[in-house]
Amino acid sequence: MKTLIKIKPKTYAAGDIVKVDFMAMHPMETGMRKNKDTGALIPAHYIDEVKFMFNDQLITKMVIWESLSVNPLMSINFKVPSAGTLKVIAKDNKGQSVETTTAINPKG
Amino acid sequence: MERRSFLKGFGVAAACAVALPHVASAADEKKVVGPNEMNYETAVAAITGGKAVTPSAKVKMEAPEIAENGAVVPVKVTVTSPMTQKEYVKAIHVLASKNGNVRCANIYLTPANGEAFFGTRIKLGGTQDVVAIAEMSDGTFLSTKQNVKVTIGGCG
Repeated sequence: MKTLIKIKPKTYAAGDIVKVDFMAMHPMETGMRKNKDTGALIPAHYIDEVKFMFNDQLITKMVIWESLSVNPLMSINFKVPSAGTLKVIAKDNKGQSVETTTAINPKG
Repeated sequence: MERRSFLKGFGVAAACAVALPHVASAADEKKVVGPNEMNYETAVAAITGGKAVTPSAKVKMEAPEIAENGAVVPVKVTVTSPMTQKEYVKAIHVLASKNGNVRCANIYLTPANGEAFFGTRIKLGGTQDVVAIAEMSDGTFLSTKQNVKVTIGGCG
């Protein structure tokens, strides 16, 4: 699972509210789609939980269902308290889990 | 080619269930519909626990009125709140009222967010209302909804 975290805007100061975009490359299968050749249903495979942590403190927890688009994008706002590490943990319904980290460096 | 790639990418087959061949037993039928099927009333009751949901201008949703492609519908929800320890938005729930599984995302926020905002892209099986329910820290539920017309819905 490839993932990406984007912080907008790129430069920010402590106390600013920034937008955190989290993107994951994931098929997000609903379990209702059929294989065109065999006619068999493709089993559901989707991200079901995403956690945003800052310095190991939980900011936002998301419970996700298969209704999110393929390669889902999730964005939240975050008030930067100080420098630190933002970690996003995404888990899918097959137990696959991926951790992505990005450094938070407020300027000014 | 465009149609083919669309079909490939399009997963919500709520409308598909109708087109699929009928199956004899109830157990098989469940498989065809999918494992997470849930209707709108059940989902709302599960979120609120029977409490009243008030439509409010505090909850704002940005979604297209007409979505050409039901597979990718951008939805942004903002809730007006000071986001302090005393008063904040506990959770934002996004529901697509006519999908097979109406639940899209449940977002549990904390005061560290600074602003109650959630943006994503969802799949819609057809023209329907997209509903956002915000759970406030005082236990009340506020909501807003927007009708999204899906041009290429269902299975095309």
